[in-house]
Amino acid sequence: MSGYRFDRLKILVVDDSAHMRKLVTTILQAFGIIQIYEAGEGDRAWTVLRDANPDVVILDWMMEGMSGLDLVKLIRTSAQTPNPFVPVIMLTGYTHIDRVRQARDAGVNEFLAKPVSVKAILSRLISVIEHPRPFVRTKSYFGPCRRRRGADEYRGPERRVTADIAAVG
Amino acid sequence: MPPNMLKAKVGGSIGGLDMAAIKRAEAAVETLKSDFAGWVGDDVERLSACRDRFAKKQDAAARDDLFRAGHDIKGQATTFEFPLVARVASSLCKLMDAVTAPGDVPLHLVDAHVSAIRIIFRDGIKDSSNRMAIELAEELEARVVETCELAA
Repeated sequence: MSGYRFDRLKILVVDDSAHMRKLVTTILQAFGIIQIYEAGEGDRAWTVLRDANPDVVILDWMMEGMSGLDLVKLIRTSAQTPNPFVPVIMLTGYTHIDRVRQARDAGVNEFLAKPVSVKAILSRLISVIEHPRPFVRTKSYFGPCRRRRGADEYRGPERRVTADIAAVG
Repeated sequence: MPPNMLKAKVGGSIGGLDMAAIKRAEAAVETLKSDFAGWVGDDVERLSACRDRFAKKQDAAARDDLFRAGHDIKGQATTFEFPLVARVASSLCKLMDAVTAPGDVPLHLVDAHVSAIRIIFRDGIKDSSNRMAIELAEELEARVVETCELAA
């Protein structure tokens, strides 16, 4: 047993498909998560986010109106954001490397490709708990460090305004 | 490194995935499975309705609606036990990703995809090795490759 107190977690699930929300919330409940908030579109998610201040956001990319990507940017950079450091797990049917890069550049912590599986959801959840990445700020980016592996070996120009800002809280 | 507040909140220890939690969740998903076909059916109906709107008026809004409906099926149908429905929807998304101008999207090829999705769903084909459905998917994928090459 891992002994995680998942009952203490607050999670926001954002997906315009009610069916996918039902599936994801069912899985989260089985993990022992009680405080689950749902939103079917980006604007509603933004309201819930500010009211409930969740610990983790699981977010679909492709939604009518405000996309998941737009919402991540808002979470990371808006003056009204309740927590710019909140871990975001992007759930999406996009799997092309360019899309993964786009999500990473918006400030997504973890990428979860559909079709979803129980193991994949649990593993991403544990990843944001156990391996929080320091946040960095550059002229064009604020979010988790994107130098996922071999960060110490980076030899390119230093673009960061600050070396690191905070761990995911 | 500042303190990890999320870890402080939930505690626990890393040591591989919690197999009991996985089993509980898989059992919970099992209870939903009787709904899966209905959910895919809803998505297929939505796709058909989006196709009809796009056929009447090939504008950006109708194109985006059609793409989103296809993209949802691509992402969800495998989870909901219709992998070949997802495969054909993926081919539709590839077509629409390559041909972005609404007026340039070949409606006959959109229709072929939507029909294939409807047939695979109607016939309840959940087996990813179903020969007829695979041939249908392969034919559509080949047509999309041709179209994408012309559009490039």
